[in-house]
Amino acid sequence: MTLLDVLVPFPVVLPLAVGAIVLALGERLPKHAPEALGIAAALAVAGLSAVLSRGALDAGTPVYWFGGWEPRPGVTLGIAFAPDPASAGIAAFIGLLFAAALVFAWGFFDEVRSTFNVLMLLFLAAMQGFCLTRDLFNLFVWFEVMSVAAYALTGFSLKRASLAGALNFTVVNSLGSMLMLAGIGLVYARAGALDFEAVREAVGRAGHDPVIVGGFCLVSVALLTKAAILPFQFWLADAHAVAPSPVSVIFSGSMVPIGLFGFAKIAVQVFPGSPDAGSILHGLLFGVGCATAVVGGLLAWSQRHLKRLLAFSTIGHIGIMLTGVAALSPVGLAGALAYLVGHGLVKGTLFMLVGVLLAEKAGVDELNLRGLGRDIWPAGVLTGLAALLLGGAPLGLLHGGADLVSAAAPDGLAGWAMHLSVLVGTALTGGAVLRFAGRVYLGLGPDPGDEAEAPTDEEQEKADRPLWLMLAPCILLLGIDVLVPADLAEHMAARVLPQFAHLAAGSVAVPPPTGWTAVEPWLALLGAVAVAGVALFRDRVPRILPAAGGMFKPVVAGLNRLHTGVINDYVVWMALGVAMFAAWATF
Amino acid sequence: MSVLPWVVAAWLFGVGVYGIATSRNYIHLIGCLSVCQSATYVLLLGIGYDWGAGPPIFYDHPPGTPAVDPIVQALVLTDIVVGATVSALLLAMALQVHKREGTLDPQEIKPLKGQ
Repeated sequence: MTLLDVLVPFPVVLPLAVGAIVLALGERLPKHAPEALGIAAALAVAGLSAVLSRGALDAGTPVYWFGGWEPRPGVTLGIAFAPDPASAGIAAFIGLLFAAALVFAWGFFDEVRSTFNVLMLLFLAAMQGFCLTRDLFNLFVWFEVMSVAAYALTGFSLKRASLAGALNFTVVNSLGSMLMLAGIGLVYARAGALDFEAVREAVGRAGHDPVIVGGFCLVSVALLTKAAILPFQFWLADAHAVAPSPVSVIFSGSMVPIGLFGFAKIAVQVFPGSPDAGSILHGLLFGVGCATAVVGGLLAWSQRHLKRLLAFSTIGHIGIMLTGVAALSPVGLAGALAYLVGHGLVKGTLFMLVGVLLAEKAGVDELNLRGLGRDIWPAGVLTGLAALLLGGAPLGLLHGGADLVSAAAPDGLAGWAMHLSVLVGTALTGGAVLRFAGRVYLGLGPDPGDEAEAPTDEEQEKADRPLWLMLAPCILLLGIDVLVPADLAEHMAARVLPQFAHLAAGSVAVPPPTGWTAVEPWLALLGAVAVAGVALFRDRVPRILPAAGGMFKPVVAGLNRLHTGVINDYVVWMALGVAMFAAWATF
Repeated sequence: MSVLPWVVAAWLFGVGVYGIATSRNYIHLIGCLSVCQSATYVLLLGIGYDWGAGPPIFYDHPPGTPAVDPIVQALVLTDIVVGATVSALLLAMALQVHKREGTLDPQEIKPLKGQ
């Protein structure tokens, strides 16, 4: 056993141990010790996972059997962690995001400081386990631990709105977890094992088996609920809007995307041998991904509550990642992985920047905050930069991912539908954020006058935190996204993919740039600037443009009305989504 | 294995979801969620069941005696623990909402004003 093998469980063990120590010592620790310990643990986890990723890339994926329960011929009873370079890389990124969020949260909670930090450490440990495991039931357990920590963190402030959002979040996601357990049961009924490798062999032997397909659908529904794919997305905006800002950073930057990551993982590591699963992925989910990208973009564009705006934009971007996964090409999958990291860096930053507004200006409503951000202009500069990156600026990690996803588009009509929905989703979300940056920090746009009555509660987060301390993690995350060149990101993604997707080493090549891939980011960026410009300079642009935007108003208003905030409705939508899967699998 | 556990599991899940979709009281709704959860337990235990096999305890049986599958039982036990945590958390949040709002009706507990 090499040193690398011994390190495998530590990204999970370390935060759990630190969390336990902080909880046990509680109030006896000095004032800022729980926060400092949390940041140190998150950084250590990021380092450990990065070492694992690097090691796996050089020496092959290590497999760590807990308690030495290695498989014997025909019988796999043990539970293993297998940190392939891609999974461990994502895990390292999550550790970094947690460290940034915890730095941002420094001084956020005075009274209950250790509880918050313990929950965050539990959340971190669960995500690490979720990324590194290669056992279906173990995946479920980490998924549940992650969920429970997330539910508690959402309702943390115990205010009216946060409790309502947390209740919706908990009920929808618990139902998803139950479906996942049932699905794992179905898979176990056929495969007689839970280990990814053993199940993959059994799935390959089974061919067209309704029980296996049922299991795949149920597990997929649970993971796609976490990933907020249509029509399972209703909980997301409610939860993101009411959670404390540092928690929203983690939700949008890592929890929701790794729902999709988990889905991609089981699709390529467990079910590649099932033709029916392939048909669901390539047919149904490809379309659903396109629809999610467009609907998320439209909803983001129509919000004035800044956290809801960002929440809906996350839905749109996850839709884009899903199209990359569902394109069923290694390049698309590599693109989705790079996109996940780039999006997490940018969206995490944006949630922190909205957190700055909540702390400094006690508001989260775009119209009410008009022009109030002038004195914290550095936050405005960062918001503008993040908006351009989100809107497709051909620069950095996020662009690298978008480029690969775009290169994976299939030929013909489906490919153009994908290009169009990715363009619309990117331009609308980037434009919405750019509009908010212009309005809040530059005071652009018409004076809302008496219409300014905000539909939100009075909200404020802990003030009197130093501005530089809140902006430092934003600069770090954005800096990483901008400074990693797009082509380096593309080559890294192509290099880590073979071990993730069980392909021959070096078999994934970055496709050469085509005319379309060179034009697409500029088109998206132009769209984003146009969307923001029409909203902010309504009186000065040709009248036809606002009128064209107004055509979508009824559609968007209808979409918004569906987000009723009532759990009864959300569960009906979820049942319809399950029925959609069942119908596709049957016919 | 007979078809009965599958039917019972599907039925339990169906009535549970119907209950959640129509509930006007959060405590009742959390109860319905537990009904859905029981459906998965019935399904899992049904999958591991073997007619005529004994419990998977070999203390006083020679190894090799037919026994029901202990793995699904372990899965169910693990999930009962998780399920208890989620129920406790939900009930605690429902209580807090009741303290602040004086209502447990899901249609009146909304995260956004005017939603």
